[in-house]
Amino acid sequence: MIRVDIQARFARALFIIACIAAIPAAHAVPSFARQTGMACEACHTVYPELTHFGRLFKANGYTLDNLKPVRGVSATKSELLALTGLPPISVMVQASETWLNKAVPDGSGVGAAQNGTVAFPQQISLFYAGRIAPKVGAFIQMTYGNDTGTFGIDNADLRYADSIVLPQDKALIYGITINNNPTVQDLWNSTPAFGFPYAASNASVGPIAATQIDGTLGQDVAGISAYFLWQESLYGELGAYRSAKQGAANPVTGAAGPLDGTTSNVIKGSAPYFRLAYEHQWGRNSLEVGIYGADFKLYPGGDATTPAVLTGPFNEFRDVAQDFQYQFIADQHIVTVTGTRIKETMTLDAAFAADAAANTRNTLTTTRLTGTYYYKRRLGATLALFSTTGTVDDVLYAPDSSPVGVVTSANGSPDTSGWVAELNYVPWLNTKLSLQYTAFSKFNGGKAGYDGFGRNASDNNSIYALAWFAF
Amino acid sequence: MDNRIKLVLGAALLLGSGALHADQAADDAQAAADAQAAARHVAVTICAGCHGPQGRSYSPKFPQLAGQKANYLIAQMKNFKSQTRGDPDAIAYMWGMSATLDDELINGLAAYYSAQRPQRGDPGTAADVARGKEIFMAGVAAEGIPPCAACHGADAAGTDEFPRLAGQKAQYLLKQLHSFRNNQRNVAIMHGVAGGLQLGEMISVAAYLQSL
Repeated sequence: MIRVDIQARFARALFIIACIAAIPAAHAVPSFARQTGMACEACHTVYPELTHFGRLFKANGYTLDNLKPVRGVSATKSELLALTGLPPISVMVQASETWLNKAVPDGSGVGAAQNGTVAFPQQISLFYAGRIAPKVGAFIQMTYGNDTGTFGIDNADLRYADSIVLPQDKALIYGITINNNPTVQDLWNSTPAFGFPYAASNASVGPIAATQIDGTLGQDVAGISAYFLWQESLYGELGAYRSAKQGAANPVTGAAGPLDGTTSNVIKGSAPYFRLAYEHQWGRNSLEVGIYGADFKLYPGGDATTPAVLTGPFNEFRDVAQDFQYQFIADQHIVTVTGTRIKETMTLDAAFAADAAANTRNTLTTTRLTGTYYYKRRLGATLALFSTTGTVDDVLYAPDSSPVGVVTSANGSPDTSGWVAELNYVPWLNTKLSLQYTAFSKFNGGKAGYDGFGRNASDNNSIYALAWFAF
Repeated sequence: MDNRIKLVLGAALLLGSGALHADQAADDAQAAADAQAAARHVAVTICAGCHGPQGRSYSPKFPQLAGQKANYLIAQMKNFKSQTRGDPDAIAYMWGMSATLDDELINGLAAYYSAQRPQRGDPGTAADVARGKEIFMAGVAAEGIPPCAACHGADAAGTDEFPRLAGQKAQYLLKQLHSFRNNQRNVAIMHGVAGGLQLGEMISVAAYLQSL
């Protein structure tokens, strides 16, 4: 019985960790500017949000190159090599400070933790971003984060892309992407990987639940998909993801694989991913509407002390999402409005069998609506509303048994909602200073005393000051 | 040598050289077709990202290229490449984009865009359009402004030497006039014209040209 209890708690902990582990990382890449000779504004309104041309550059596989390349050609003049003259390397540095409305309890159980967390750096990233062969490009980010204290792989997107001209001068771009974060390959900023907030504190209190496609699996999977972009407007993509764990070792062989029961949350087979979007342009405006989704079947697995073989029941997470993005881009004024709604249907056979969930079927729906205004690409303001609602499950989202709470829910509800207001000052196109305020009207299912230990949703409100450099 | 043999040899040489010329002509034609196809591919898959399908742009930030005069397009691409055209959008976008263009591609792109059907203009306010037409056709004698039509043609469709202005977006035209005035685009004749025009007059002329 005790064993079952430990297993259940472990499975639940794994599940929750999987849900909240990923915080969207953000990216700005002067490498591309170096390679194309074009200023940031060609591809970005303000980084990392893409303009229409930026979306085309990405769809074309990051290969547009206006530097004289180092070339190799065959006797029949086919290109064997087209290395960029200078390696398209760039660096990103983020330094931040975070203040919570109310300090969290001290880990010792007495008093409160320090409030006001300085992160220097919060993140330092090294990018290789640009062409690596005539029709192949890469966006590879390696990051040192103060949360992990290590330097490791962050977002990566390798692409092959080509294009053909159809009758009546219609353009068709098509390609293949291999990436490690579902939606990192997407062209719009309404989808999770490159959606607002582009940078967020890693020293605040995060809610208990997030859908799988909403960054939860980032850098934990590898996917391959084929895509097309017709006439710069109709985009379609179909692919599949498999688990690709970092730092995992097979206990029998000592090698990096194969994955076994000592690894947690492993995709059963391949998880299909799809995306369909349409963008319409008129004047200085563009409007995109689309759908995207994936179906992840995950074995709960375990770890070295409590392994659980990767067969039998699994948990299925079927994510189906809609999104839109509106942009108005002029020299003086830029307006962007994005929205997405992700509905996840969970079939938790494995979690239920292990007493890690009270229900076999849960749903979780996340909705975001974000509006941004920039004046001359220098001063900006963003207001974003967010909401996550889901089925009450007092085992999956169980109350804390020790009197700490904070990240748990007293009533088993994952419901969290609130808003984010952000002010930005961009003195140079590659430097952004941000002040972000996040307010929760509901947190883990409640407003007052949501964790059962007297913490209120508003106690998790936070102020986040960020200096973000990309060079 | 027998005259007949000489005749036959001569005829054979003639035929041979004719065939060689025909081969050469076919090769040249093929090379030209390849160059044109390459330029079309670049135009449709890259330039269109800003300048719109077949050079009919959506945003006034990017000029209409459909129906623009080839000579003007060639000159501008060379100015971008040599970085002698220095208005802000040229620096941000076209200095990079033009850096590796060679003459063959420049000529091909110019041929492609000059052959496209121009975009129909957008109507402006009647008063602006009327005043703009007056200035375009007759200039502003009191300010020493010559008639624009004298160079750009009565229908503003351009000539071999001067660009087409008809149907161009007003905001783009205003930005160019500003660039001529402050010499970011260093064109002596337009520096004089833009320097002499009042802002209201510029707005009127731009509205008239956009309406064509």
